This record gives sequence, structure tokens and C-alpha cells, in this order.
Amino acid sequence: MTAATPHARRLADMAQVIRSKNAGPTQLTIDVFLNDAAMYALAAHSPALSGAAVASRYGLAEQQVQRHLLANIHAIKFVLPRRIVAGSPGDGDVYGAQQHGPMLDIVV
Amino acid sequence: MNATARLLQSHRPGDGVLRVLSASGQLGYGIPEDAFRRGMARAPHVIGCDMGSVDPGPYYLGAGVMAAPEPMVERDLELVLCAAREAGVPLLIGSAGTAGAAAHLDATLAIVRRIVARRGLQLRLATIRSDIPADAVVAALQAGRLDPIGAIEQPDAAQIEACSPIVGQCGTETFARALALDPDVLIAGRACDTAIFATLPAMLGYPLGLSLHMAKIVECTSLCCRPGGRDAMLAELTLEHFTLESMNPDAHATPASVAAHALYEQADPLQVEEPGGSLMLHDAWYQALDSHRTRVGGARFVPRDKPSLKVEGALWQGERVVLLAGVADPTLLRVLPQVIAAVEQRVRALVPGSWQLFPHIYGQGAVHPLAPAQRATHEAGLVLEFIAAQTALARTAAAVFKQNLLHHAYPGRIATGGNLAFAFTPSEIDAHSAYRFALYHVMRDAPLERLFQVDAIDLDGRTRH
Repeated sequence: MTAATPHARRLADMAQVIRSKNAGPTQLTIDVFLNDAAMYALAAHSPALSGAAVASRYGLAEQQVQRHLLANIHAIKFVLPRRIVAGSPGDGDVYGAQQHGPMLDIVV
Repeated sequence: MNATARLLQSHRPGDGVLRVLSASGQLGYGIPEDAFRRGMARAPHVIGCDMGSVDPGPYYLGAGVMAAPEPMVERDLELVLCAAREAGVPLLIGSAGTAGAAAHLDATLAIVRRIVARRGLQLRLATIRSDIPADAVVAALQAGRLDPIGAIEQPDAAQIEACSPIVGQCGTETFARALALDPDVLIAGRACDTAIFATLPAMLGYPLGLSLHMAKIVECTSLCCRPGGRDAMLAELTLEHFTLESMNPDAHATPASVAAHALYEQADPLQVEEPGGSLMLHDAWYQALDSHRTRVGGARFVPRDKPSLKVEGALWQGERVVLLAGVADPTLLRVLPQVIAAVEQRVRALVPGSWQLFPHIYGQGAVHPLAPAQRATHEAGLVLEFIAAQTALARTAAAVFKQNLLHHAYPGRIATGGNLAFAFTPSEIDAHSAYRFALYHVMRDAPLERLFQVDAIDLDGRTRH
């Protein structure tokens, strides 16, 4: 498979790890580890995994999301503000460990 | 002479590797003993354990209690204390008792004293107190030296003063002051995880950037391996690089698994902030030594002019009572949020006073907002969180809410027996005090020496104290 003729694929089928976790109580980090360099190249260049696209999946504005591309380990990292500071009344996920759901069915 | 001075006088960087053993990333949840014993058989020069985190939420800091169960904390402490004393090497523990405030440190020290007496140990114990006076934080706020980290609002002076207590994450500078007291064991209040493992190497003359990078990886023990786990992790440090090796033979440190760990819980994968400067990982390299071990180098440390300090403070929000119930009627499930709002209105008229309701409807978006089509209509779980200044008021609101919701006549109801399924009664439960983090900030230009108090005391378990 080459980047020039990509097949539409679910991110969950292209990545060995898709995880979310707090980076401190105010931020959430979503790490995606693609299966290999080819998958990484597809994902890194896909508009479906732009900062803006991921922001909209989480109901955030584009400038609220930072994206880090880590080609050497085939990883893409997104950093988002938490909706509620971790553990404040009304929070539903103190560790932020179950916020990866909206990433799973992104089609690349 | 005690363990710290013995190490500082006997080890010369360049003559041989420095072996740093990370025994636990979360002391108090059961250190895997096999891997720890294998680590001790490698004759480590220093043993470190992390004991705390901001992860479990603001309650532990605010209420002054440990997250880990005390009997397991005692079991883990006994394991590492006895092993370190037998080997005669320094043992360093950071973020005592989860949140690392005075209450947590004192509770941890009380357990240490019990073990010392029971096992007849002799040791010099150094401590670092990490409580930060509110006026120092208010002064920073007023001088414009208090910066929020991420999405948290700026507190006012009154909110800062109401935080009880406030802790700061001490770093290698403060650990070095405590280690200058030549302890066998150092137990610190709230601390940077890195300080536990990087300070002694840095005092010996190893490059600070390399030492901090090693510390950043080993503080989570074998989490940087594949498969990840909680087994003890050994780092062998030279002046140029360090080698990572899990003490579980089936957990392998690979270049990919170690590099991936740098992303974990970290907003910036290439830059880690420490009180005295920034750890830069832009030129870090990871090289497989064999299928089990990975060699790492290339990190740099860039000091900053004036130290910065991460401060954490929890603000009491009230007493919490939760109501637990299930719902399985499809008609009700389609209108559940509206029904809860309608019942709340009725209960507010019946139960005056200031109380808050936070509904969590599991199956319908309690964990993450769900589109209407994804919301469960076959079964959902209700966790209704009531918070009030007095437990009695929260209990009253919860109980009255329960009965009104149980028999609420929503449009189209055909199931008139009752709207809720209880797994047990009473279904409303006292659920501790509620807090929120009001402080998760950086205090710039912080007078570290004045803020952190270091002490040492000699304990002798062979005599009665």
C-alpha cells in the first residue's frame, strides 16, 4: 500500500495503541501508535487526523488542540483541554483514561 | 557514615556503571516481590520508589488521606526498607502518602517507625516537607508570578487561602539538600518523580539531562516495557547513556516501547519541565542492546535563571451523597434527562437549602457525550451525585429525590410499579467530601530553599522510642 492510493480504513484497524490519559488534571493527551511506517504516513497526512478534525470530534475549537507528529515511533499525539478539571464535581472520568472513543472510528 | 555518604565517597563516574533500581511507581498497591528480589540481586547502588500522584484526583490532597490501603503500604514499605538496610544502600521515596502534604508524610513516617521498631532496624531518616504556605502563593498571584497549567481558572486570594493544604513538587535541588544530611532513607512529601532517581546520580557527577531522562522513564518501573507492568526496573548509568532492563524477564524494554513511554501522561513529548530548568528530549536516541534491554542517550538539560515550582491545591466543595439505581424501561430511557430535570424541580421545592445535583447517566453519555442514536434505550445506570455543605442536607435531597423519581409519572408511562431498579438498599450512600483542584499552577521565581523544610533524625529500632 502506498500513500498515493490509500484505502479508506478505520483508525482502530491501523493502530496498535489508541489511548487517552490525563496530562495533569487540566489536560488530556490522546496517543495513537500506528502499526508501521506506511500506516503512520497515511495517518499523518490524512485530513481526518488534522488538529481541526480531531478538535471537532471532541467539540473543541481547532486552536484548543495541539498535534505532535513523532515519525520515529509512528505516533501522533493530540493534547486537548479537559472539559472539567479532573475530579471536580460533575467529572465523569477522573483519570481521563476512557476518552479515546471518538478516535476509534475515524476513517483515514 | 551512612548510606548516602558511603555512595558519594565510593562511586566514581566512569569507573563502572551506577545501578539505579526503581522498585515501585505506586508504592502501596503491592510491589511484585520476585522482580524486586531479582533487582536486589543485581546489587543496586540506590533504590527509589514513587508513592504519589495528582492522578487520583483532589480528594486525597484535600482530605489528607492516602489513596493506597494502609496495610499494603506497610507491606511495601517493609519490603523496600528491609532490603535497602540489608544492602546498605540509600532508599529514596517521593510523594509520600499519595498527595505528599504534611498529613500524608506523617502517616507514612508513622508506618516507617512501626516497621523500624518491629524489625529492629537502625537508620538515619531524612524528610522533606512540601507544604507551601498560602501567603507565598497569594504573593505570587499578586506579583503576576502564578501561571495556570492548562485549562484551569485563576483562583483569587481567598480561594488560595481556603485550599488546605497546598503542596509544591520539589525537585533535585531540594533532594540534594536532604541528601546532604547523609540519610539511609529519604522520604519526601510532594516531589517531582524525577528527583527520586536523578538526584544522587547528579550529585555523583553524571550529566543532569541524562540522569533526569533515566529518572523520567524508570519512575513508572516496567510500564515502559512490552508488555508493560509494575515489576522493578533497573537502569545502568554511564556518563554517556543508560541501559534499561526490566527485572521481569518477560517484560522487554525495546526502543519503541521506551520511546513511546515518553509520551505517557505528558503534554509535550520532547520537553519536560523541572523546577530548575527543562529536560530536552529532541536529540534523545534509543538503541536495542538485545531483545530485553534498550540503551538510551542524548537528552539535554537547559537550566532556567530562576526556579519555577508546580503547586497543587484542593478546595472543599461540600459533602457528597450518591444515589445508585438502574433503569430498564425503554419509554423512560428516551426521556430520562428531562425526567431527572423535572424531578429536581419538584425536590428543590420540597428540600430547601443549597445543594447541587450532578447526574451521571451511564449508557447515555456519562463517560463521554454520546449522539442521541448511541444512547442506550434498553438499560442504563444512574449515579446521582448530591453535594451540600452538610451531609444531612445531601442525604435528605438524595432520599427525597429517590422516592420522587421512583414514582414520577412521565408521559407515556405504562410501567407503574416503579421507575428504578435498586441493587441494594439503602441505595443512597455517603461518598466522602467533594473537592476540586483550585491550584494546578506554576509559581515562577520560587524561593525553593525557604519553601521546603528538610530534616533528619536517627531511628534505632533496637531501643524503645
